[in-house]
Amino acid sequence: MAKEAKLPEAGQWPDRIAPWALLAGAILSTIGFLMAFLYAGPVNGAAVNGVEMIGGTMVSSKLLLSQKIFYFHMPVAIVSFIALAFAGYYSIRFLMTRQARFDTCAKVGMEIALVFVICTMVTGDLWTRFEWGVWWTWDPRLTTYLILMLVIIAYFVLRNAIDEPERRAAYAAVISIIALIDVPICYMVTRLIPSSIHPVVLREGGMTADMGMTVGVCMIGLLLVGFGLYRMRFRQVRLAQRMQAMKDQIED
Amino acid sequence: MNPVLEEIYSTILPSAPFIIGAYALLWLVVLVYVFIIMRGLKKTEAQMGVLEEQLAELQEKYNG
Repeated sequence: MAKEAKLPEAGQWPDRIAPWALLAGAILSTIGFLMAFLYAGPVNGAAVNGVEMIGGTMVSSKLLLSQKIFYFHMPVAIVSFIALAFAGYYSIRFLMTRQARFDTCAKVGMEIALVFVICTMVTGDLWTRFEWGVWWTWDPRLTTYLILMLVIIAYFVLRNAIDEPERRAAYAAVISIIALIDVPICYMVTRLIPSSIHPVVLREGGMTADMGMTVGVCMIGLLLVGFGLYRMRFRQVRLAQRMQAMKDQIED
Repeated sequence: MNPVLEEIYSTILPSAPFIIGAYALLWLVVLVYVFIIMRGLKKTEAQMGVLEEQLAELQEKYNG
């Protein structure tokens, strides 16, 4: 007899730590935000006509404050990719086992991905508006990320359009896997297309230790927020599903 | 102000609303999602009340 797949369930240890993870995530990302201004050094822009001594350092270029957006823009983008990886994993598990629980996990994962994709779009767009002077440009990174967002939205549109649960879950799983395929394309596109104007931190000389530390704090904070939100939503959805099952039983 | 310093700091103030806006909107999106979760929980709690009433009715029928 085939070994039965162990199903994820609410009310276990991850749910006990989820509210604390959410709180710790909020505190850490706030600390990260403060570190971006008070700890991480400024980034230099275009050269100016002259040199000035500021805080013991000779400065000969514009100081870019807008770069501070990067400290939470990159972490939210990474969290959206991780959420999509989890959603893709559960979608594959669903297609392998046909267990509705994996579909629930994938759906919640896609919701978290959408939340963080919107955060990435909003933070990136405000930076684009200030630095490039436009709200939108068809840069390869922006375009592939927009496609990713549209695929995630299509996932939810499709879910709402199909009534039959198993068919809905199977089609949704396929869309979720398509979204997962777009993740490495989205990540690598700035490296594959050199004409891309989107900044690539690791290609452009990396980060200094203070920048790395600030990004790290923001990253851990936002990962904890993502985890906390996932568990809270999963718990609520599972509760609603169990309630519906009981209601159906009583009505029968 | 020294013109060189003025040029060095020229992007600081104009970019501040964009940075604060980005951070505030990020948390607004997260808060909207938390609100959706809370609304779902409230709805489930209301359903629980209906279910309890249905159970009580069934019990009454069974006993009577």
